[in-house]
Amino acid sequence: MSTSCGNPTTEQDALMLRRQKFDKSKDCVRCKENAGNIVIRHAVYCKACFFPLISIKLRRSLDPFVNPLPDGPRRKGLKASGNLLLGLSGGLGSTVLLDLVNQTYFSWHDPPIEDATGKPRGGKDHPRNANVWPKATVCYVETCTAFPGAKNRTEEVKAAVAKYERLVFVPLKVEDAFDSAWWDSIGGKPSSKQLGMDITNEDLILSSISSQDESDAPILRLQHYISSLPTQTAIPAAVQTLTRLLLLHTAMSTGSSHLLLGTSLTSLSISLISSISQGGGFVVREEAQEEWTPRLPVASRKDNGHKNGTIRIVRPLRDIGMKECAMWAWWRRLDVVGREKFTGGKQSIGPLTKEFIVGLERDYPSTVSTIARTCAKLAPKKGTGGVCLLCERPAQYGLQDWKSRISIRSFKDESSFGLYRPPHFPERDPANAPEPTSSSPSLAPFLCYSCHTTLTSRSSRGTTAVTASRDNPVPLPMWVTSNLTSASRTPVRSEDTDGSLDEPQELWSSHKMDAAQMKAAVADFLLDD
Amino acid sequence: MAPRTCALCESAKAMLKRPKTGQQICRDCFFYVFETEVHNTIVQSKLFQPGDRVAIGASGGKDSTVLACVMKTLNDRYNYGLDLFLLSIDEGITGYRDDSLETVKRNQQQYEMPLKILSYDELYGWTMDAIVSQVGRKNNCTFCGVFRRQALDRGAAMLHVDHIVTGHNADDIAETVLMNIMRGDIARLGRCTAICTQGEDTIRRSKPFKYAYEKEIVMYAYFKKLDYFSTECIYSPDAYRGHARVFLKELEAARPSAIIDIIHSGEAFEVREEVKATQRVQQTCIRCGYMSSNDLCKACTLLEGLERGMASAGITDRGRKQLESQGPAPDNLRTIPFFKLPLGNPTIAIESTS
Repeated sequence: MSTSCGNPTTEQDALMLRRQKFDKSKDCVRCKENAGNIVIRHAVYCKACFFPLISIKLRRSLDPFVNPLPDGPRRKGLKASGNLLLGLSGGLGSTVLLDLVNQTYFSWHDPPIEDATGKPRGGKDHPRNANVWPKATVCYVETCTAFPGAKNRTEEVKAAVAKYERLVFVPLKVEDAFDSAWWDSIGGKPSSKQLGMDITNEDLILSSISSQDESDAPILRLQHYISSLPTQTAIPAAVQTLTRLLLLHTAMSTGSSHLLLGTSLTSLSISLISSISQGGGFVVREEAQEEWTPRLPVASRKDNGHKNGTIRIVRPLRDIGMKECAMWAWWRRLDVVGREKFTGGKQSIGPLTKEFIVGLERDYPSTVSTIARTCAKLAPKKGTGGVCLLCERPAQYGLQDWKSRISIRSFKDESSFGLYRPPHFPERDPANAPEPTSSSPSLAPFLCYSCHTTLTSRSSRGTTAVTASRDNPVPLPMWVTSNLTSASRTPVRSEDTDGSLDEPQELWSSHKMDAAQMKAAVADFLLDD
Repeated sequence: MAPRTCALCESAKAMLKRPKTGQQICRDCFFYVFETEVHNTIVQSKLFQPGDRVAIGASGGKDSTVLACVMKTLNDRYNYGLDLFLLSIDEGITGYRDDSLETVKRNQQQYEMPLKILSYDELYGWTMDAIVSQVGRKNNCTFCGVFRRQALDRGAAMLHVDHIVTGHNADDIAETVLMNIMRGDIARLGRCTAICTQGEDTIRRSKPFKYAYEKEIVMYAYFKKLDYFSTECIYSPDAYRGHARVFLKELEAARPSAIIDIIHSGEAFEVREEVKATQRVQQTCIRCGYMSSNDLCKACTLLEGLERGMASAGITDRGRKQLESQGPAPDNLRTIPFFKLPLGNPTIAIESTS
């Protein structure tokens, strides 16, 4: 049948066999001359060959996505239609990415190096001779206010970025997500009323928040949001979503066509498994490669040359493991500022997955790349219902019904018993029956599965929420409030996109072009045989 | 501390914390929500038609014992109109299946369901004891595993049932999703979350416990006082499934919804069209008609090796080459009966409950 018992005694490929550390000799497999300095997934490389190897891997992952036509002809060189934003967390991956991107795309010579004929070597559009992006910004989001006792590293990160002359540094704070001044600064319209949700109710009932001086401070709103989350798993997941949306809105406000993230192969495998374990199977493709279309009106955002202002999020280190990143940082003497470690540990899916994958990578280096390669062969099933208001990624429809069918959590009304009413269940006096909540506005229908689970799924040890209560609505990030209060929001339920936007939304997807498509794209440049 | 009231009926005393939701509920509400969720799964997936003959794959373990109980309850409660049977496989290992088959026999009496115990001896002409005497203990699991996979289908075909239901639970499925991602088995990953599988030449097979947590199945058996026989399969610590199982348990401890969340993920994605085009096409065995990836299915290869005194033929490449060098199989070779989908009345007698 289709299932596999996974018993190694009945299936040859059920065993995870440990291979030798390296395949053949201790000499470099590339130059075949020098003694090896590093083993990368069973292959030995010397230090001299390591640097070009990593640079080539970076360009192979990034170059096809630079030009407005993805994976199209690059004969005329690389030219992005907008600016570049690089997300820097202070961790190993983004520090290495910053160095590699600066070295590859922002270390051009002025004037260009000339060849024997007096022309720029490699052509005038070669990344060495011309800038691929007109302007590059490095954005750091400080998250220390979300984690009690965490250290503010903004100044250290600023000093690390200062070494790169052609890059502009923009520091943000995670509480900016709740700051109307920040929202205003990036072109968002200030909302007339602030909304909050009742996180103790699975429907996430919405209500207005009274604007009081102290509780109105963004930092207090953030802390209220974080401390209301029901599990240790939800905290890093929520901070990650806030950070991602802050970066995307910053990319929009800087006219960027690309956002680069320092996700290494190891980090990618961690985020894939972690996302799948939190119900994010529908967006498994977005974990590796995605496009985001701003929901703000055209007039409020800077043009980045892409249709609908779409921003391409690329993870150029997705073929480079954590070990290679560490060696790059070590040999290049990079100053890795470091990131705050979330102390949730064993009670949080994110850190648990990291521990699991890093352990696997140590003993079975190929398994980590297998995870990424396997997930790259997956696509979401049909049935996109729109975009989640919180994470702004594609969402499926009908999730609330699905959840209530396979995991019954309440008997809201008598009709939920269907054909059979359990004999022990007391007859309710209709006068005392609880008010149906369906008439109250709720956030749940506007969320994807993962975000709804983050806000509502509880631990078996009870909730970690310390401030959640029905009478104390939890504030929402600015983009959620903005979209909810804008005209005629529709829940995640149909193939149609939201009608409240100023122009039609277009989900931009990339696909590998076949020979005929490629030929059609370059037909004007082809000569007759 | 005052006793807590059930979070669902809000009247009875809460007796348990539900593993799936963390809610504190009473025993009767637990039975009700557990059974209703299985009913919802069956109805939503349109698993059965009135008048269907359904075989419950019964091993005597917890999953199949609870499945038999729940299927009987739901069939009566919601008038599914199903003819339910119990189907057990006896591998023929002295002292191993005896206890669990006793459990199945008790289920037969209790639920008044006809029972068919089908032995390897009946299907393949070999008991596992006989196989072990020829191949030794080292590779005997290879034979047992391959033969068992076909046995339920062949047994169901003999009973002329339309449908087999098995006790695979949510933990099994979530574990399989993780395992298939880790070992890059894209074909199995694409189909492991399907509630119902049916090839052109196989009997419909479903998992009504797809969303039922293992802990809740044990809890149901405990509160209903169902007895079952626990047989643990000890996997090698270096098996993919072993790694996936340990990791899943940690995830569940961190957030119980992780099991359902993984299944939801598995249902939300599919193998990309261009990848599907490169996958091997399933065919049928030229000798026994069962589905196979090669001309000869694994069970036929193993059986030919046993019959010709070269048991390693189905295990190693060297053994297979050795067998091929001996020439084609003799005409009088004992083979597995040709597999046909059921048509008409059952061809074998089944044990009635009286």
